[in-house]
Amino acid sequence: MSFEPKIIGFLCNWCAYTAADLAGISRLKYPDNIRIIRVMCTGRIEPSFVLKAFASGADGVLVAGCHPGGCHYQEGNYKAYKRTLLLKKLLPQFGIASERFRLEFIASSEGEKFARVVGEMVGQLKILGPLQTAAVRIAELDGLFGEAEGGTGGGR
Amino acid sequence: MMKQLIAQMQEIARELLETGIVQTVIGWEKGSRWYLSPPVFVRKPEDAGRLWYDQFAVPNLSGYLLDYRNKNEKVAVFVKGCDSRSVVRLIQDNQVRKENIVAIGVPCAGMRDQSAVNDEKEPHELPLLSKCLQCRYPNPVYADRTVGEAVVDKSLNVPDDLDAGTGLMGGDLTGDGSYVSSGIVERLEGLSSDDRYDFWQKAFSKCLRCYACRNVCPACSCRECIMDSEHSLWVGKGSSPTENMFNALIRAYHVAGRCTTCGECERVCPVGIPLMALNQFLGQEVNKLLEAYDAGIDETLKPPLEMYGWPDFDGLFRCAKGVRA
Repeated sequence: MSFEPKIIGFLCNWCAYTAADLAGISRLKYPDNIRIIRVMCTGRIEPSFVLKAFASGADGVLVAGCHPGGCHYQEGNYKAYKRTLLLKKLLPQFGIASERFRLEFIASSEGEKFARVVGEMVGQLKILGPLQTAAVRIAELDGLFGEAEGGTGGGR
Repeated sequence: MMKQLIAQMQEIARELLETGIVQTVIGWEKGSRWYLSPPVFVRKPEDAGRLWYDQFAVPNLSGYLLDYRNKNEKVAVFVKGCDSRSVVRLIQDNQVRKENIVAIGVPCAGMRDQSAVNDEKEPHELPLLSKCLQCRYPNPVYADRTVGEAVVDKSLNVPDDLDAGTGLMGGDLTGDGSYVSSGIVERLEGLSSDDRYDFWQKAFSKCLRCYACRNVCPACSCRECIMDSEHSLWVGKGSSPTENMFNALIRAYHVAGRCTTCGECERVCPVGIPLMALNQFLGQEVNKLLEAYDAGIDETLKPPLEMYGWPDFDGLFRCAKGVRA
């Protein structure tokens, strides 16, 4: 069985979510690997949300909001963009390739772009393979900790 | 010299308390060992004699100001050069009101590393802390009063050469760093993503989740910390590898661009996790990505991650594409 990546998509209510809607209405085809979480604005997305998604076993995270200047709340997407840039730098430190995390500006009329972005991401993630951190590695590590008991462990 | 300085400090504290300008003075006192100078809270003028200062006054006292943010009480706090940056940060974040604090700048020639103590009874020479070897702000950047030869000095600022990526802790490292973090950022740069993951995983597997790093941090000023959240599905309380990592990442990210690199988190960590390496890394990235910025220098400036708007956004796009104006 081929690997089907799981993507968590945080979409802003005004642009990207509407674009996803449009993609559906227009009967565009895109992979069903994405699980969409609607937020009112990408500015609402705390980096912890993204980290939590990865920690809980997501293979990729997509954050999509309005184009610059198009934010319903004036500057929410700027906030998202700044945070994202930094988060993209932080993730590889922890073994999460920066390609697994993507920020896109998708206007409400760009249903086609939404479908394309999801398609691209799925293709990329299939090449990268499942995220080996977090959930998957816990089992390995738990094994490690079991062995280390009484030995080199933290003294407990 | 030092005696004179301490006498001056005590004099100022006494005066501030007697005149009722402040109700509490936060300083250091002589500890129970020769290499310890823990914090002291002086509330009566006659106790001002307890105040002490030497090369072991490592604790950054500005974090305690957070305990007074909701009280109608004026507090005086002694600050070294690096500590004063944390005070500026607290003012920038509206965590403390400028008029409610009296920052008293003290001169600092670098603090000694207590972790290198061999003999608990007999005083001996100790190396400088690595953060002091790389110190760029020996003088307070913010102080209402100063003692000794300390002067308020903001002149040493961000390095001009943004591309050099010298980061917050720029400057020459001339000795063997004694902080566990020293050199880690550089070492990790050459590793693959997976090796880095293993490194951090190993480091954070020791974490006890005691949150000492958070409690001591002057930048951790949330009224309710996400780590104290009641939602167990959101933040697990257990000390499992994933949860530890999640905890560490969030902590690091939340202080990104605001960390004044005082190194307190690492000093108090009971299991010696190189927390400053992460903070340093993020600080460097903020410098490279957004703008050259040293946290906590000018209380009138806004930190890069807190500024949004068109002109700034244009620059951001250029940065993201690797083009610099």
